[in-house]
Amino acid sequence: MKRRDFLSAAAVATLARGATDFAPKAKRVIYLFQSGAPSQLETFDYKPALEKMRGVELPDSIRQGQRLTGMTATQTSFPLVPSQFAFKQRGQSGAWVSDLMPHIAKVADRLCFIKSLHTEAINHDPAVTFFQTGFQLAGRPSIGSWISYGLGSDNKDLPAFVVMISQGTGNVADQPLYDRLWGSGFLPTKYQGVKFRSQGDPVLFLKNPEGVTPATRRSYLDDLAKLNTFKLNDTGDPEIATRIAQYEMAFRMQTSVPELTDLSKEPDHVFARYGPEARTPGSYAANCLLARRLAERGVRFIQLFHRGWDQHNHLPSQIVNQCLDVDQPTAGLIEDLAERGLLEDTLVVWGGEFGRTVYCQGKMTADDYGRDHHPRCFTVFMAGARVKRGFSFGETDDFSYNIVKDPVHVHDLHATILHQLGVDHTKLTFKFQGRHFRLTDVHGNVVRSLLS
Amino acid sequence: MRLVFLLACAASLVAQPIEFNRDIRPILSDRCWTCHGSDAAAKGIRLRLDQPEPVAAARQLIAERIATPNKAKRMPPVHTGAGLSTSEIATINRWVDAGAPWQKHWAYLPPQRPAGQTIDSLVRARLTKEGLSPAPEASRETLLRRASLDLTGLPALPGEYDDMSYEQAVDRMLSTARYAERMTAKWLDAARYADSNGYQTDGERQMWRWRDWVLNAFRTNKPFDQFVIEQMAGDLLPYATLDQKIATGFQRNHRGNGEGGIVPEEYLAEYAADRVETMSTVFLGSTIGCARCHNHKYDPFTQKEFYQLYAYFHNIGERGRYFKFGNTPPFIYAPTEPQQTKLAEIEGRLTAAEARLRPGAASGPLTWKPSLDLTTPEKYTPHYTARFTIAARFTPLAATANVVSKALPEAESNGLRFEMKDGRLQVNLVMRWLDDALRVETERTLSPGQNYHLAFTYDGSKLAAGIKVYIDGKPEKLRVLVDELNQDFLVKEPFVLNAPDVNIYSRALPPLEVAFLAGAASGPEATRRQFLETTDAKAWAEVVQLRREREAFLDNVPTVMVMQETGKPLDAHVLIRGAYDRPGDKVSPGVPAIFANKPITNRLDLARWLVSRENPLTARVTVNRFWQSIFGVGLVKTAEDFGAQGEWPSNPELLDWLAIEFMDSGWDVKHLLKTIVLSQTYRQSSRVSPELLARDPENRLLARGPRFRLDAGAVRDQALYFSGLLVERVGGPSVKPYQPAGLWKELSGGADYVPDSGEALYRRSVYTFWKRTSPPPTMANFDASGREICTVRESRTNTPLQALNLMNDVTFLEAARRLAEKIMAHPAGLAYGFRLVTGRAATPDELAVLLDALERHRATYEKDEFAARNLLAHGDSRRNTDLPVADLAAHTLVSSLLLNLDEGITKE
Repeated sequence: MKRRDFLSAAAVATLARGATDFAPKAKRVIYLFQSGAPSQLETFDYKPALEKMRGVELPDSIRQGQRLTGMTATQTSFPLVPSQFAFKQRGQSGAWVSDLMPHIAKVADRLCFIKSLHTEAINHDPAVTFFQTGFQLAGRPSIGSWISYGLGSDNKDLPAFVVMISQGTGNVADQPLYDRLWGSGFLPTKYQGVKFRSQGDPVLFLKNPEGVTPATRRSYLDDLAKLNTFKLNDTGDPEIATRIAQYEMAFRMQTSVPELTDLSKEPDHVFARYGPEARTPGSYAANCLLARRLAERGVRFIQLFHRGWDQHNHLPSQIVNQCLDVDQPTAGLIEDLAERGLLEDTLVVWGGEFGRTVYCQGKMTADDYGRDHHPRCFTVFMAGARVKRGFSFGETDDFSYNIVKDPVHVHDLHATILHQLGVDHTKLTFKFQGRHFRLTDVHGNVVRSLLS
Repeated sequence: MRLVFLLACAASLVAQPIEFNRDIRPILSDRCWTCHGSDAAAKGIRLRLDQPEPVAAARQLIAERIATPNKAKRMPPVHTGAGLSTSEIATINRWVDAGAPWQKHWAYLPPQRPAGQTIDSLVRARLTKEGLSPAPEASRETLLRRASLDLTGLPALPGEYDDMSYEQAVDRMLSTARYAERMTAKWLDAARYADSNGYQTDGERQMWRWRDWVLNAFRTNKPFDQFVIEQMAGDLLPYATLDQKIATGFQRNHRGNGEGGIVPEEYLAEYAADRVETMSTVFLGSTIGCARCHNHKYDPFTQKEFYQLYAYFHNIGERGRYFKFGNTPPFIYAPTEPQQTKLAEIEGRLTAAEARLRPGAASGPLTWKPSLDLTTPEKYTPHYTARFTIAARFTPLAATANVVSKALPEAESNGLRFEMKDGRLQVNLVMRWLDDALRVETERTLSPGQNYHLAFTYDGSKLAAGIKVYIDGKPEKLRVLVDELNQDFLVKEPFVLNAPDVNIYSRALPPLEVAFLAGAASGPEATRRQFLETTDAKAWAEVVQLRREREAFLDNVPTVMVMQETGKPLDAHVLIRGAYDRPGDKVSPGVPAIFANKPITNRLDLARWLVSRENPLTARVTVNRFWQSIFGVGLVKTAEDFGAQGEWPSNPELLDWLAIEFMDSGWDVKHLLKTIVLSQTYRQSSRVSPELLARDPENRLLARGPRFRLDAGAVRDQALYFSGLLVERVGGPSVKPYQPAGLWKELSGGADYVPDSGEALYRRSVYTFWKRTSPPPTMANFDASGREICTVRESRTNTPLQALNLMNDVTFLEAARRLAEKIMAHPAGLAYGFRLVTGRAATPDELAVLLDALERHRATYEKDEFAARNLLAHGDSRRNTDLPVADLAAHTLVSSLLLNLDEGITKE
C-alpha cells in the first residue's frame, strides 16, 4: 500500500475517484509566467482616449481612493501617460495587439484574451505567490503541485511538474523568484515542481559523476536492488519496494531528461520558428522549445518563468527588449503545438502577476516614463484546449484602471485551468491544520464564457 | 488493501460503545460545523450542532435529515460533497438513540495520569483489545543504532557501547553535544528559523545566536517550562539576562518583508499574527490562526479571542517594512562568551584610559577642534552602514538651499543631501525616492542672512533615529519625514560643497565635539576636553582610539532580533475579516475563554500560563511531538491540530500518562526521552508481517518498533560521520557546504551562493545556512520543512530525486571515497563497511553481492584509470595517494552503494 493513500481522507477521495471529475479538455498546461508584471497598456489593452490626456491628472473618480504601493503613494502628481507604441487590429478576430508583439499579433486568432484579470496584492512577492498558490503568503502548494497531486503523471520517466526560468533583457536587475513558487507547501514534497536548469545538470544531481559510465551505473543499480530486496524480504516494509522503484525511475530519468533537453536534432526551421535566441540555452525561446518537447512527452504542468517585466522607470526602452524576448518564441510555440496537433489538448497561458498603472511613476519626458504596480486590471491570454479562439473577454475603463465588464479574479482563472484539466476545483482538497484546503481557497468560479 | 483496513476499523468500532469525542465529534466537526457551528448566526442558520442543548433537542430531526432519500432535504447538502457514509449514519443513529450524550472536547480537559500504569502497560492494553501481541525485542545492535539516531541524529558505531548496558548507553547518548544538536534541529523547524528574511530579495539576517541559545538549553537540559517562558517572554523577566533576551528571538524568526512599495501596516499585522499562530501550533496544538478572519468554524475560538492573543505580540515598536539586508529593530548585540570577555577587556582599558585623563584648569578660550578621523570630500565616500559627520559654516540666502551634497542632480534623486527646505534644515539619504529613503528635518527654521554652524551625525543604523542634527553646536529637535532607508545611497557624483569650512569625519562625533566645532562648548567637561587636546594629545588620542576599537569590535559582534516592549502599549483591535486596514472593536490581551477565566495581562503571564497546570495542552502537545520524532507518527497524528478537526489520539491514556510524567519530572526532556526509549514498546523489532501491515500500515497500534527513513539532516550528517569527514564543532555562525553552482543566481540574478571551504564544508546540517527562497537542495529533496512558517508535522516521501541526490551529489561522492579509504585500511574490508553503515553484520549473500561488485568495478577501473581518477576527484578533501587508483575507485563505488542502501538511510 502506498503511503500517500493514507495522507488524509480527502487525499484518498481524490485518488480514489480516478483522478479527473469529468472528461478533460486539456491533458496538460504550459504556463508562460511573465514575472515582474507586463504593462497591459503597451501590449494588449488598447486605450486610444489616453492620447489626448497625456499629462492630465488621474481623476479621483477613477482612482476611487484605491491603495497604491509605497513607491508612488506619496507622489504629489499622477499624470496619465499613453502608450508610446501603436496598436492595430489583428486577424479575423480584430483583436487589438500593439506593434511590440508582431508575432503574437499574427496568431491572434488562436488566442483568448482576458482583459479583466484582477488580483489582491500590489507587490511582487505576495502577488506572484498569490498567482502560484492562491494565497499571498508562503506556505501553500503551488498550482502545479496541486495538479501533480490531483492527476499524477502521464509519463513514468519524467516528473509531472517541470519549471524553467529565464532572465529577460528588459529590466535586468529584476524581481527575484523563489523556490516556493513551485513548492508543494503542505502537500508531500514529491509533488513539488522539478526545475530544469540550463546550467549544470538539467535536473539537480542527474548526471552520473565523472568516472561512472551508464553501464557501471546500471550494474550498480542491479547490485543495489539485490541488496534492498534481501532487506525487503527480511523486514516486509513496502517502503523498500518503493525505494527500489524510485532508483529505477532515477535511472530512466538519466536517459529521458538528456534526450529531452538535447535540441541538436531539432531541424533549423523549428529553431527559426522560435526565433534567434532559441539556440541559447536558458533563454525564454529555448525554454519554449523545451516546453513543446515536454508537452509531447506528456508532462502534466510545464511552467516557464520569464523575469524582467518590472518597468518602474524607462518603460519604453525596457519593454521593447522584453517583448522581443517573448514575442516570437511564444507565437512560435503556439504554432508549433498547433501544427503537431498538440494545441488541441494543451492549454497555454501567458501573463504576469498584476498590471501597471496608467499614471506615470517618476519622471515623465517626451519619450520616457515608468509605470507602478496595478492590481485592478491586466491582460492574460490563453490558447488551446478548447478555450475560445480569437476571443476577447472583459473590459476596462478608458484608463485601463478599473474593470467595467466581466471581471476575472485569479481564483477564477485557477478554477478555469483546473476545469479544463477535468478537475472540479472545489473537490481537489487536502486536509491540513483541520481544514480541507483548496487551490482556490473558498472562492473561484469557472469562467464558462471563455470555453467553447 | 485500503478497503480491508477501513473495514477492520469499522468492525472494531461496532464492537465498542460510542464515545462522543472519538466517534461523533469528528463527524460533526468535519461535516456539520462549517454551517451549524460557532458562526452559524452570521450565516442566518438557527440550529447549532456544536452545543449539547440544541443537539439534544433536535435528535429526531438530525436522524431524519441525514438519512432522508429526498436529496433536496438531505444533510449535509449533496452539493457540498460532504455526505455521510452508511457507517457514519449508523454511528450517528446509535449515538442519537443513546440520548446524544456530549463531552467537552478531550484536549481541553486536564490530562489525568492513569494510576499504576507505564508506557508498556498502556500499549499492551490496547494491543490486547485489538487481539494483537507485541513484537519481540530488536537485536542489541539494532536497538543501539535506533536509539543513537533518535537521540543524537547519528548512528551508533560498531562496538561503541560494548562495555555498557543499554540504559548506560542511553545515558551516554543523552549527555552529548550531538543530542543537543539533534533536538535543536527539530526545534528550528517548529520555530521557522532561517538565515534570511524570506520575502523577495530574501537578504541575510543573523539569528544564529538564538539558535545557539537553543543548543545550550538542550545541552544543559533546561526544564522545558523554563525553555518556553524564556522564549516567550525572557525580556520581561526581572533582571533579564542577555541569554534570556536572546531567547525571545524565537518570536522574531518569522519572515520580514523589505520589498519596496509594500504597505508597512499590512506586514505589521502579519508579523504579530505569525507569532500568535506559531505559539498556537507549537504549544497549544490549536489552529487559532483560523480565527483571524472569522470565528473558528470547529473549535471554540472567537475572532475577538484571536486578537486578544495578538495584543500580546504587537507592541515591540518594530517596522512593518523590514530591512532588506541584516537585522531589523528591535535587535540587540549578542556577544558570544569569548566576545564578552574581549569586550570587557577593551572596556576595562577604555575606563582606565579615561581615568588617566584628569581635568585640569584651562585658560583662554575653548578653541579645540576634533582632529581625529577628519577626512576630505575627495577621499571619503559615505555609506548607509557607516558612521560619519558632516559640518559646515553656512549663511542661508534663501529658504531653500543646498549646504553639502553628494547626489544626482535632479531633485529628490539618489544620494546624500544636507540642505535647507523652506527654512528647515534637512538630511536626505536616498536610494530611491520615496520608498527607499531617509528624511529628517529640524523643527526650527533658519533665518536668511544669518551665519550658522550646521552639522549632522549618522551612526550607520539605517534609521532616522541614528541621525542627529546640530545648529550652532546644539542638538535640534527633529521631525522624521521618511524612515525607510534600505539600501546604500551610493552615487558616483562628487561632493558639492556650498559652504566654506566644511568638515567631514569618518565617525559620528559626540555632541560635545560638535559643540567644540561650532565654538559653542562650555562647562567643566568642555574645559577638560580642551585641556586634553591641548596639553595631553597623546592620552586623548588613546581614548579616541579605544573608543574606535570598541566600536569596531561591536561591529563584528553578532546581533539578534528580540522582543522588546515599547513603553507605551499600542491599542489592539479586532481586524475585520483579518484586514489590516479595517480595525474593529478595541481588545485587550487575554487568552481564549475555553482555557482561562482569569486575567492574563502581559506576555510574561501568558508564558507562565502556557506551562502551568491550568493549561491542558502544552505538555500533551510537546510529548506528542517527541513521540512523533521517535515513532514517526504522533499519538495524535495531527501534531499541529488537537482540535475538533484533528485526529483522536491513538492511545489517549498513554498521551496523558506521558504529559503528566513530563510535568511531574519538572519538564525534564532527557527524562522523558529516556523513559520512552527504555520502554519495551520502543525496543520491539520493526519486522512486520503482511497481515499486521495490512491491519496497521502506519504502526499506530505499536505492535512493532518504528521503521522509517532518516530525516534530511541525518542522511547527510551520517554520511560525513561514516567517512570521518564530519567536523564536530558546536554552534557559531551558519556555514555554507557544497551546493550546485547557480542556484541562487538563477532565481534572483544577484550574487550566487559561494560555498565555504575547509572545515565549514563538513559541519552538521543544523548549521547549514538556510536561505528561505532557495533552501539547501539536499534538505529540500529529503522533505525538510521550508522554514517559511512553523511546521511541526514530519513528512516523508520517497522520490527519484532523492536517489539522484545520494548517488551523484559531491557530498556523498566525497564521503564514499573517504569511507572507501577507511574500508581499505580495515582488516575486515567491506564487511566492516557494511557493518558501519547498517549497524549489523552482513549476511553471506549480502557480502557476496558486495564482493562481486567490487571485483567488477575493479576490473573496469583497471582498464580505465582515467575514469578511476575522475571518480576520485570529487570533493575538496585530498585522496590518499598511497592507495592504488583502480582499487580505491572500486571501493568508492561500493561505498556509495552502501550509502544508498535503504537500510543505511532508514532507522529500524
